Amino acid sequence: MRHIFGLGVLVVLLAACERNPLPPSTDLEASYPVESGGTLIDAMAGEPSGLIPMIAGESAASAIASRIFNTLLRYDRNLELEGELAQSWSISRDQRTITFTLKPGLKWEDGAPLTSADVLFTWELVTDDRTRTPYASDYKLVTKAEAPDARTFRVTYAQPYAPALDSWASLQILPKHILQGQDINTTTFARKPIGSHYYRLEEWKTGERISLVRNPNATQGPPRIDRLISRFIPDPASQFLELMADNIDIMNLNPIQYARIIPARPEMKRNIALYKELGNGYTYLGFNLKRVPFDDVRVRQAINYAIDKQELIDGVLLGLGEPVAAPYKPGTRWVNPELEPYPYDPRKARLLLKAAGFEDHDDDGILDRAGKPLRFEIITNQNKQREMSAVLIQRRLKDIGIEVHIRVLEWASFLGRYIKTGDFDAVILGWGLSLDPDQYNIWHSSQTKPGQFNFIGYHNPMVDKLLEQGRLEMDPDKRMKIYHTFSRLLLEDSPVVYLYAGYGLPAIHKRVRGIDSPAPPAGIGWNAQDWYLPSPLRRTEISAQ
Amino acid sequence: MTRYLLKRLFWMVPLLIGISLISFFIMHLAPGDITTTEAGFNPKASEESRQKLRKLYHLDEPILVQYGYWLKRMATLDFGTSFASHQRPVFWERRDAQGNVQKGLIQEALPVTLLINVLSLVLIFVVALPLGVIAALHQNGPPDRIITLFVFVGFAIPGFWLALMLMYWLGVVHGWLPISGLHSLDHDKLGGLAQLVDTARHLVLPVFISALGGLAGISLFVKNGMLDVLRQDYITTARAKGLPEKTVVYRHALRNALLPLITLLGLSIPGLIGGSVIAESLFAIPGMGKLFYDAVLMRDFPVIMGILTIGAVLTLIGNLLADIAYAWADPRVRRGVVH
Repeated sequence: MRHIFGLGVLVVLLAACERNPLPPSTDLEASYPVESGGTLIDAMAGEPSGLIPMIAGESAASAIASRIFNTLLRYDRNLELEGELAQSWSISRDQRTITFTLKPGLKWEDGAPLTSADVLFTWELVTDDRTRTPYASDYKLVTKAEAPDARTFRVTYAQPYAPALDSWASLQILPKHILQGQDINTTTFARKPIGSHYYRLEEWKTGERISLVRNPNATQGPPRIDRLISRFIPDPASQFLELMADNIDIMNLNPIQYARIIPARPEMKRNIALYKELGNGYTYLGFNLKRVPFDDVRVRQAINYAIDKQELIDGVLLGLGEPVAAPYKPGTRWVNPELEPYPYDPRKARLLLKAAGFEDHDDDGILDRAGKPLRFEIITNQNKQREMSAVLIQRRLKDIGIEVHIRVLEWASFLGRYIKTGDFDAVILGWGLSLDPDQYNIWHSSQTKPGQFNFIGYHNPMVDKLLEQGRLEMDPDKRMKIYHTFSRLLLEDSPVVYLYAGYGLPAIHKRVRGIDSPAPPAGIGWNAQDWYLPSPLRRTEISAQ
Repeated sequence: MTRYLLKRLFWMVPLLIGISLISFFIMHLAPGDITTTEAGFNPKASEESRQKLRKLYHLDEPILVQYGYWLKRMATLDFGTSFASHQRPVFWERRDAQGNVQKGLIQEALPVTLLINVLSLVLIFVVALPLGVIAALHQNGPPDRIITLFVFVGFAIPGFWLALMLMYWLGVVHGWLPISGLHSLDHDKLGGLAQLVDTARHLVLPVFISALGGLAGISLFVKNGMLDVLRQDYITTARAKGLPEKTVVYRHALRNALLPLITLLGLSIPGLIGGSVIAESLFAIPGMGKLFYDAVLMRDFPVIMGILTIGAVLTLIGNLLADIAYAWADPRVRRGVVH
């Protein structure tokens, strides 16, 4: 028995030496002509639950689905809207009706024509009460949707709704001729979708990988790379080992891998190019404004002055991030260029706290007011960067006499037990930097009920008014002014302390060419269809197919 | 014997109901539900639509009523569908009107986990048995000391760390073994034997890592059992008859020392369907551990309940099988002789 087993192991080990790295003589720095073909392999931490994005909520699903399905509009490299399926769009004079004209000759991957009927069908699906989607609210504002001819799609709103265009850049159009009459919640279409974008699903091996191949009928023209394989590898350390062994071409690094591990390894530096793009979110310290002492703007500003943002960026992100002064993606038009983050100024912080009545009367090192010490708890979820930020903040606030406790919680409990009920003092969390400037759901005073997103209880009538105006204003320049004022008020009120916006840190094997570097505002992925793999640099085992 | 069996089987029903009731309540004690986890923090997902989902899943009703729904479905052996995952069936595949098949979540995760766990159980026994016997025969001698040291180092070493080190050393530095996953990308293009080798190569590390921790327990168990038996009178008798030492050890001593292992085997049956979350995440293996862990994080109640119920049934069956096997192996138990 033992002999057989030992023999088995030996055979297995001996059969092993088939790995096929690039020969060391390959010149990875040389330039190669543009050509089509090849396979690109990346790694994803999670597996999509299905590929109908309006139902599957997770990011893994949208990452894959966005290569299969088209939207009416999309964001270009500078994050301005442009047509994808739509050739053009126009807004009526009363600003309530948007008319999209589709490009001519659009087709689904099975050859059927893609028309405005499909768009209308998708809208009906997402607003149908039987559809189990959490994303219906934007589309339910449409009072009338119609498809007068095959290339025209028209939506009418009860009143002008400026974020409408952004919502039509995120609704992925589904094929009516296949899905009609099916139950969208349970259909097997979720696992074998028919789309219209650059790629179509080739194979989905549950728990292992999804492979996509080029769609011959792609509405946006053919992409250069033939095949995309996404492997599901939940553990980031394993992903990194796969990258080291050249089994995957792309992964998103964390700051330590980016700034310490790869630079220290010559063989990785030789093979792998590092990119830096603006992240998609910012991390903040938010106060529960319904609680004393955070109802006092001086206390909030004092804490803002007492936190050294650069220290957080250097310590937590190893310098790979930037401070923000507005809740918008740096480099976009929505950011008010006049705003600066609160500088690190503990003296000013102490003065503000003194003005608010906080002094150390009993000499215990903690400020107090009316016998009550200035002490609060920061909660955050299990996220290493947020935990580290909390510790650094704790120390800085101790310097000015504020005692901070930290509690780290599991995500569902964190949301269900603390955020939803409003049972917290302060919280470290992140918001995504949305591309549309409308942040009504986050800051408007009507959005403070349990389960809504203004859970910090922010309330400023001027901000409310601006947010309402911003939703009604379709003209981008006028909108910009509204949101610049909004950002200024928000910064002065300091309901949250903007901590940092971390960079996205993709590492890509140097065999992948055509990448836009340095990264434009939209990130390097915006022109992934133009990336190419020169044939001398491809993996031999796979290009042999 | 048949009556005894029937009685045991009958008593499993209230036990199962009790277990499921407790699991159901404990599960609902944790704050949050699927609507807080799935797109729960996306400002585009409105509270109204989340309320709508809550209603669809009956999450707005009292727990006891929800348990009633669940029990009613279970009575027809319907494990339900996952809240997430596009309502995929929890347990087994389902065919819709168009003839499309939707595979069950447990159906897909279970074979992988079973394969790894059975292999590692076999590996544990194959290695731990001789180790235990050798340690017992050389009690307190150098072989005993070395074996004890080895199995305890294996027991104490953090599995995830060793796994990463081996992945790095065998996978990255030498390229002898694949790092993660179950199949190579070109698996489908390989021939039959090559496919088997490919899968085996992917399984080496996961099986080794999950077996290593179990070695200590079993080998010490065998060692102690052997030591007990070797002190018995019938071993002295066997030696006195002049039997060769080999026969004494392997025919007379080992067989008797193995009896308690049957219980141990029976108890490890439910463990066979549970996977290690850490190992499965590291090796990117789509097994039961990951399925359960993700379901708990997502508050995907039907999946959690499905796995817990199957685990409970297997535990009860495992106990029963262990008792039966014991009766079969030990004549004293079979004939009702008290020992």
